[in-house]
Amino acid sequence: MVKKKSTAELGTENVGKLLLQYAVPAIIAMTASSLYNMVDSIFIGQGVGAMAISGLAVTFPLMNLSAAFGSMVGVGASTLMSVKLGQHDFKTAQNILGNIVTLNLLLGTLFGLITLIFLDPILYFFGASDTTIPYARDYMEIILLGNVITHSYLGLNSALRSAGHPQGAMYATILTVIINTILDPIFIYGFGWGIRGAAYATILAQALALVWQFYIFSDKKEQLHFTRGIYKLKKKIVVDTIAIGLSPFLMNSCACLVVILINKGLGEHGGDLAIGAYGIVNRILFLFIMIVIGLNQGMQPIAGYNYGAQKMDRVLQTLRYTIYGATIITTCGFLVGELMPRLCARAFTTDEQLIDMASHGMRIIVVCYPIIGFQMATTNFFQSIGHAGKSIFLSLTRQLLFLVPLLIILPHFFGLDGIWYAMPASDLIASIVTAVMLYIQMKKFKLNSIKNGQ
Amino acid sequence: MDNKYFVLNIGRQLGSGGHDIGKMLAEHFQIKFYDKELLDLAAQESGFDKHFFERDDEHRGFIKGFFYSINPFSSSGNPYENQLSSESLFKFQSEAIRKAASQSSCVFVGRCADYVLRDYPRCINIFISANMEDRVKRLSQKLNITEEEAEKRAVSGDEKRASYYNYYSAKTWGEAATYDLCINSSVLGLKETTEFIQNFVARKLDL
Repeated sequence: MVKKKSTAELGTENVGKLLLQYAVPAIIAMTASSLYNMVDSIFIGQGVGAMAISGLAVTFPLMNLSAAFGSMVGVGASTLMSVKLGQHDFKTAQNILGNIVTLNLLLGTLFGLITLIFLDPILYFFGASDTTIPYARDYMEIILLGNVITHSYLGLNSALRSAGHPQGAMYATILTVIINTILDPIFIYGFGWGIRGAAYATILAQALALVWQFYIFSDKKEQLHFTRGIYKLKKKIVVDTIAIGLSPFLMNSCACLVVILINKGLGEHGGDLAIGAYGIVNRILFLFIMIVIGLNQGMQPIAGYNYGAQKMDRVLQTLRYTIYGATIITTCGFLVGELMPRLCARAFTTDEQLIDMASHGMRIIVVCYPIIGFQMATTNFFQSIGHAGKSIFLSLTRQLLFLVPLLIILPHFFGLDGIWYAMPASDLIASIVTAVMLYIQMKKFKLNSIKNGQ
Repeated sequence: MDNKYFVLNIGRQLGSGGHDIGKMLAEHFQIKFYDKELLDLAAQESGFDKHFFERDDEHRGFIKGFFYSINPFSSSGNPYENQLSSESLFKFQSEAIRKAASQSSCVFVGRCADYVLRDYPRCINIFISANMEDRVKRLSQKLNITEEEAEKRAVSGDEKRASYYNYYSAKTWGEAATYDLCINSSVLGLKETTEFIQNFVARKLDL
């Protein structure tokens, strides 16, 4: 999301100003994609009903799994493309672009078809009940038939970003949000298509964005463009793509696993409505999380450059500002969750019982939000200074390592509330671990600066 | 790019004597020689501390190779957004290589210089291999380690260099089609191999 600037600026310009300049575009992109999900849920909840919200929430793990496969090709190939573009190797980069199209066609179609064949057992496994499965099935049938479009759209968006069109990628994202927002009410209310209408709107919006992406990449004046002979899969490109894409794939698969556990636990202890309640809370709180992720992306180049140049005071200043910013954002989430949970839930549904459940759950989940801004910023800080391993470990502590055992253990003592408690508890433990690791890192920095000073 | 300069790029197996051959070639043609020296240039080019380049020098570690240098939870997937990612560091190093090649004739050892300079007009790419016994002997003497240890290092060194080269370049490390000349230094010995290469270079470039 960042325009080419002279890198020296990163070492001299005011840190706060830099952070703003780098973070704002990233935040816009992140907000757009989370708004997309929110709008979809609101129309489904208001237009179709409370059970439809639960049916939609049951499909989250499957959507995560699809995103996992999509990001394997998307992130893998676009990273590879960035590396080749960094070397001015346009021929290979073009070849990778062609391979992205082919790989997405293949994988998108295969994934769509295979999951379509086994759709019912998969949905039951992901927490569906006999009441919710009609909605989940209606929705997923359309989404999976259009899966190849979704994958192609996401893959080409990563490619746009790597090919030096970050704005293009951003516009494509915003375009899908706008089209979806226009089509949702027409399809759901106007045509009376119910939850299927929302799915059609999603796929159609992505198809239109895809057409636009094709239009950009068909321009022969572009450095990278579609041309004959680039689509045939090359073993080296495919292998490298999968090797790089494996880690985002695994991470997304973990997310899928965790949502399955949450849905199953909620279904067992609270029934279908509890799953729907989580679906609502998740959509609302995701917005705050995505904004923090955007802020963190803006921090990376600044912290990274200054760490490389060993300007430690500027590195720490960047970290401090990012932590302040992230904490403000997540504290807003905390306040919204504690002070007006009913108001938020009401946007999604008119069902009083569902509103009760969602606002109860939201109050519990956001308890530790004021500190997870710090946790997320610090996690990303390790990434910025080249310690990817520590960064990945810290991400996993919050979202998997502590969360999974808590999700399994706590319901035995607290029933349904146990599931809600598991999330802030995991946030708290992860934040403590993060604080300890940051403390150790700071000691190392100090030791180094004393050594270098002498 | 000025045509009066020329560049010799040397890929080599660990312990094959590629470094020494490169040095002798540089002395013979009286041109500059860059092996580890490249890291200083890269550090200068980027303004970063040299140890960042040493850490990533000619290998991609298992964790980095697998997770590459990005946490997918918090990144947009463009490795150049983080200036300290291995990919960014490699880019700085490549710029340093291009700059050095545009300023004088030189010998580059390793670091994908042949790929970085693939559009450079007067370039000769050479790969040096050697029999395992010779490599083990040379390594154990140079690093003062046992022969078993040396053999382990030779094998893992090849793997590291291959994964590094294959990741950043569009070609395959050690494959004949990647280079202009591949030669086993055990056959003629270091000195005569160097002379053979001198001959090859002189003919190709009309020196």
